[in-house]
Order: sequence, then C-alpha cells, then structure tokens
Amino acid sequence: MRQVWTIALREVTRLRTRFSGGASPLTVVILLIAIGLAVYAFRETAVLGSGLYRVGVWGDVPPIQDSRFAVMNVDPAQARLLLERRAIDVFINGAEVIHRSDDKSLFAVSALKRYLEKLELKRIADTYAQEQAFPLRVGVHYLNPNQPPDDLPENPAAEAAPDDQVIIPSLMTPPAPFTQVIIALIYILPVTFISIFFTSSFMDEKINRRLIILMSAPITPWQIIFGKMLPYAVFANVATAIIAALTQANILLALAIFAPTTMFIFAIYLMVPLFYRTFKDTTFISMLVTTVTTAFLVFPAMFTDVNDLAFISPLTLAVKMYRNEPFGWREYLFPSLPMAAIFGLSVYASTRMLNEEFLLGYRPITRKLADAVYLILDRSRPYLSVGLLSLLFIPMVYMAQLVMLAIATNLPLRLMVIFVLAASVLIEEIVKSMGIAVLIERGRVKTTWGIVGLALMSALGFLAGEKLLLFFSVSMVAQSALSEALFSTTGFLLIPLLAHWLFTSIAALLYGKLRIFYPTAIFTATVLHTFYNWFLLGGVR
Amino acid sequence: MSAVLAIIRKELSSVARDRTIVIAIVLQLFIASFSSALLIGMLSLYDPDSIGTFGNLNLPVGVVSQQDEPLSGFLRERGAQVTRYARMAEAQQAFYDKKIMAIFWLPASSPAQAGEPDQIQLYLPESETTSSLILMVVQEPLKRYENLLREQRGLKLRYSTLQGKPATTFEFIYSVILPVLMFFPAFVAGGMVVDSLSEEVENNTLETLLSAPLSVNRIAIAKIAAAVILAGAQSAAWIAMLRLNAITVHHPGLVLALAIIIAGVTTVGAAFIAVLFRDRERSQFVYSLFLLVAASTSYLFDLSPIKKISRLAIGDYYTGAGDVALFAVALAALLFIFLRSTRVITKGRAGV
Repeated sequence: MRQVWTIALREVTRLRTRFSGGASPLTVVILLIAIGLAVYAFRETAVLGSGLYRVGVWGDVPPIQDSRFAVMNVDPAQARLLLERRAIDVFINGAEVIHRSDDKSLFAVSALKRYLEKLELKRIADTYAQEQAFPLRVGVHYLNPNQPPDDLPENPAAEAAPDDQVIIPSLMTPPAPFTQVIIALIYILPVTFISIFFTSSFMDEKINRRLIILMSAPITPWQIIFGKMLPYAVFANVATAIIAALTQANILLALAIFAPTTMFIFAIYLMVPLFYRTFKDTTFISMLVTTVTTAFLVFPAMFTDVNDLAFISPLTLAVKMYRNEPFGWREYLFPSLPMAAIFGLSVYASTRMLNEEFLLGYRPITRKLADAVYLILDRSRPYLSVGLLSLLFIPMVYMAQLVMLAIATNLPLRLMVIFVLAASVLIEEIVKSMGIAVLIERGRVKTTWGIVGLALMSALGFLAGEKLLLFFSVSMVAQSALSEALFSTTGFLLIPLLAHWLFTSIAALLYGKLRIFYPTAIFTATVLHTFYNWFLLGGVR
Repeated sequence: MSAVLAIIRKELSSVARDRTIVIAIVLQLFIASFSSALLIGMLSLYDPDSIGTFGNLNLPVGVVSQQDEPLSGFLRERGAQVTRYARMAEAQQAFYDKKIMAIFWLPASSPAQAGEPDQIQLYLPESETTSSLILMVVQEPLKRYENLLREQRGLKLRYSTLQGKPATTFEFIYSVILPVLMFFPAFVAGGMVVDSLSEEVENNTLETLLSAPLSVNRIAIAKIAAAVILAGAQSAAWIAMLRLNAITVHHPGLVLALAIIIAGVTTVGAAFIAVLFRDRERSQFVYSLFLLVAASTSYLFDLSPIKKISRLAIGDYYTGAGDVALFAVALAALLFIFLRSTRVITKGRAGV
C-alpha cells in the first residue's frame, strides 16, 4: 500500500510540474468556462438546428421563438414572389398558411405545425375554461392479453381509470429522456478529459525509458498501475460528486452509478498507452474509444422505460435517478458488473504486458494484439488459461455485440437479423480461438488432440461465461426477444457446448494443421456457425 | 519549397503506413450510422408523426359504440384497422383472441351541453413497449377528435389542420449528420498536427530537421498542409457518399471549401498550441479544450460554421460565397499571426 501511495504522489508531482508557473489555476478556469459553455450550448441544441427554415409572417401571428425558424416580416404581395424564388419556405398570413409543394416547404410546414400548436394550446388554456379548452378525457386501462379475467365489465364508464391514467390527447408528451440522458453525459465529460493525463503518464515512462527502472524497484506492476490511477480516480469521483451536487442529485447514488463507468473508461484508457506506436495512434485510438463508449452508454439509455434492455447502460440508472424512479439491486448490477469485470480484466492484462519488450516494439497492431494475448496466458497451464480467457472475455463480447446491434438497426429488417447473427458469431469465434491460435503460433501446442482439447476448454469457459451472464440478465430482459437472438439459449446445455467446441476446433485446426491464414480460418468457422444458428436453431423465426 | 513538399509527402505516407487513418474513417462511419440508428430508434418510439412511415402499420383496434362516431374514421386515416363492436363483451373477446390490440369504449351519449368533458376508455395490453407504441399511433386521431369536440363547443384551434411531411429526419441530417461529417475530419486533422509536432520535439528529431535548412514555420506549414489535404479528401468523400444516398447537398463546392477552411483553422490553432506547449500531454489537453470552447461559443452566435454549413447544404437563399469568404479571411489572419508569433516564441528558446 505504501508503494501505491508513493507512486500516486509522484504522479501528482509530475502533473504539477507539467502545469506549473501559474498555468494551473488558469487551466482550471478555462476548463470550467468550457464545460459551462458546452452545457449551455447543449441545452440550446435540444432543438435540432438553427435557421433551417425561412418563414415570412404578416398580421396576427404568434411570436416564433424557435431557433429552427428564421422569421421575417413580409407583406402578402412580396411573399408570393419570395416563395416562388425559394427565398422563404412558408408564409403565414394570420391564421392562413401558404406553402409550396416541394419537400423543404412541407418539412417547414410540419415543423411549424408542431410548434404553433403548442402556442395555440397555451393560448386557449389561458383564455378558456378547462373543460371547454380540453373537452376530451381518455381513461387508460391495462389488460393482460393472455389471462382473460372471469368477469368482463359491460359498462366501463362505471369503473373509471385512476387519475394518473387519464390523458388529455393534446397534452400528451412523448416520454423521450433526451434531457436526462444529456445531463447524464455531462458526468462522462470530465472522465474522458482526465484520461488524457492518465494515458500520458504511461507514455512519458515509455518515451523516457524509465519503466525499466521502475520495474527493477521492489514493486509489482499492480502497484504501479494502481498508484498511477489513484489520483485520477479520486479526481473523477470528486468531479462526479460536484456534478451531482450542482444538478441536485443524490451524491452517493450518483457516485455508485458512475463509479463502474469511470472504472470502465479507465480500463480502456489503460490499454491505449500499452498498444500505441506513434502519437497519432494514441489520438486515433482514444477517439475511437471515446466514441464507441459514448455510443454504448447513450444508445440504450434513450430507451429507458421502453425496453428493459436499456439497463445495459448505467446512464439508464442515472435517467431513473433524475426522474426520481426507484430501481433495485438487480438493475444496478446488470450494467455495473460487466463494466467492473472489464476493468479487472484490463488491469490484469496490463500487469502481464508491462514489460519493456512489449511496450517499445514497433509492430503492426494485429501483431501487438496477438503478443498481448500470449502474454496474458499462463503458458505452464494452457488448458486452464484458454478456458479462463474465453470466460473473462464474455463481458467484452456482450458489449461488442450490443454495439453491432446498434449499427445494424440501419439495415432493413431481414438483413439486420442476418448481420447481427453473423457479427455476433464472428466476435464469439475470435474470442474463443484467439488463445489457441497464439499457442499454436508459438509452437506450444502441436498435436491435433491438443488443439481439440484446448477448443473444448475454450468452449466450456465461453459457455460458462454465457450462462453466468444469462443468470444476471434473464430476470431483467426476459421479455426481450433480442437478447435471446444474441445469446442463443434454446436447447439442452450439451448441444450449445458441442456446437461451440465444434466450430472452435474447426477454426483452430484449419489454422494449426492446414496452415490456413488465421482470418480465413475464422471466416470459415463464422460462416458455418452462422448457418448452424440460422437453420438448426431456426434462426430468429 | 521542395523541402516542404518532402515533409508533406513523408507525413502522408506515414499516415498510409500506420493505417491509423483507417480508424478515423471507421470512426466517422460509425458515428454517422450510429446516430442515424439512434434517430430511427427515437423516431419509431417517440415521434408520433413518424411512426408508421417506416412501414405499413395496420394496427388492429376495436371501437365499442352504439351510434355513429367520427373517431373510427380518424383512426382509419391514420392507418389502423378498425373493427366496430356494439357491446363491450364482444370487443373483449376479440382482444383476448388476439384479433385486436386495443379497445376504445365510447359513452352512449355525449355530455356536450353541460360543462363536462367527454370520457373515452381505452384498453391496452400490459406490455409497456407495445402500449406506448399504440398510444403514440392513436395520439393523432385522438387529437383530431378533440379538435372536433372543441369546434362543437365553439372554439377554434388555429393551425391544427396543417399538413406537412415529418421533418425530424430532414432536420437531423442537415443540422447534425452533415456538420459532423464535414467538421470531424478537421478536428482529427488538428489532433494529427499536435501529435506530429510534439512527437518531433519529444523524440528530439526536431533539431535534426532544423539543422537541415528548414525553419519551424516551414515544418509547421508542411504538417498543416498534409493534415488539411487529408481532411479535405475525407470531407469530399463524405459529400459524394451523401449524394449517393440521395441526400442533396446544395452548393457542394462552397460546403467543401468551408470544411477545408475550418480544417485550416483547427490545424493552425493546433500548431500554435503545440509550438507553445511542446509536449503532447498539455498540447492535446489544451487543444481539446480549445475545440470544446470554440464549438460551443460559435454555436451561440449566428455566424457559426456549424449553422452556416447546414444552411449552405440546405440551399438557403441568403447564405452563399460571401459567408465562406468571411471564414477564409479569418483563416488568413490566424495564419499570419501564427507565422509571426512562432518567430518570437522560438527565438526566446535555445534548442528549438
């Protein structure tokens, strides 16, 4: 623990010398201004776009204060001309609206309708009695279509719906959690900034070749990593607490929600300095990571309360928090556990990779990845390591498959199912066979039986991980057909095990025995596995 | 001059060799496809206008009423399959037989004369996803019914009969996707300039370069030029891709010019920061801050490149070459200041 503390102190000193000479308070001020402005601008952009439509007005028209509309006063005679010249898209003369028949004009009309309707509703709500202004009440009742009740009410007017289930059509608002998701995103902003320093710390050691000195000191890689991480972790949590305080959220709850996310982001940024070769690499990899992480966090959260799969992102918990809606332990653990697991895996992997030879070698990125997998494995116990590797990679597989799903929604439905199925299988096959492939490459396993045995261990580990994950998610997302499609769970345990074993063996044997290019081997196994899923398991209906 | 060209060539070939630019391009593709996935998801769940525009809806609903009522007609016009029932029991039977997914129950007589509002009962399946979707679909017919009731009570809601086309996708493409695709390469280009300059400093290769007859300015200009060329090529490719996807980009030349000018601004700014701070850590941090501040402050003003580029691409009548020229002037001024100040900054420092 002392050593961790020492390294943490040294890290703070390093940062202080970087930003010494009066620059630090200035930087803090700039940072605060930047975040403030960004938040302000974010709020403005809640409405999409600015000045997209040109609107001419004349007479008694409510004031249009939506940034999408650029409004100007024109008299009716002039307006015709401007409309024809496409200088304006719509002309509003009192209650009358004149437009062209091309798309842009029609888009403007539809956007205007929505905006003006809101103003009109406000006007009549202010001028007329409630019953006259809103003359319709709809009582909403929920029935379970699979369980008919014994007595069916013949006259429903007798049993009115409870007050909170009564809706007024014109005051219905879509339950989109835009604002809450954007607030939740603000929590992520400081963490991604802090990670620049965290990454740089390792890069410094690399450039100055000091790592070898650090390694020869009587400290473990764990201590180095945790020591360097400590100051930034503290800072990240303080930032979370401050944001929670500023947005009037429960500070402890916010910390609990965002701690796993922070760990997850740190885990990924820990990988960046280990893999980069040039500075440009660092920038690109960091950008990729930030984007994919943001996507992973935001996409599910947008569907809060619509689909339980939304709980895969911790931002959903934050949205719930801001809506003052309760959630249970299961809902909390569902997104948090995989993130914490990835953090654990990444720290473990880094301790194995923290050596001069790996860090300083300039090799293609795929080569580096293969080296990394080889370093992670315990060479003296190949069977156990390969099994554990497959098991521990499950949370990553899970997240990668989700990102694939998000991208796939762009495709037409039939293509989307095939794409998701194939992409999921591809990720699975890579994870299951990568450990075996590097062992074959280094000549650690040569015989056919050895390869098949390793494939069995890998399949076992993978299946165990899948089932573990399912154990947590099945209660959460039982109603979601998508989760079933992602993790083909149907059938007896033995059949999926055999399938995993078979396809991993195929990939590994093609590579190990027939000396086929690894990507080609993976591709073959993927195609076979996809066909298997599609036909034997019936695909997705 | 040939020395500058040599550096440009070296920068471009190193980008090609490292294949890192592939990540950047994948990234942009990801952002574009991902945000449109998000959009379609949001639209199909939260946007009552757009639901059903992605496919034929054919939502089967039942209406229980003893007399003629206008609601069934409104529902049919929205694309629902309406079955009329005289008694509640029949409708419920159909609901449990899965023939219909929702039941509207209308009272026998309307209390229009009194000050009381009309009451309708709506029965939905328990599943949250399905019921919220149904509610979205029936919102518009219910609103029309409400407007009809308003008119019966002598009250007119203006602008409620307007018919347009759902605009969310249009707004999203031109105010989010297009600016992202046009300016993201510029942001990346700035990051590249920071990396490439600070790498020369931190690996002590800058001195070697300087000992060849090259000034700091020339080196910086070469690196800026290489980054801007890359950014311009990406933006041009995106414009072509958008056109292939049948998305009209008006004034493509001006849109591209603006994208390149902004790439110029970010890269010159980045070079300025890198020359000033000299190490990657601080430079990248300050550069990201600079981007954040610049993007958000510019958005508060009408003269924002983000706003200008969407207006150009939409084909706005009042936006044109003059606006782009304004940014070009700004870039020229920035470049001039940069070239002047590097002399001052580097003169004070031995070694660089």
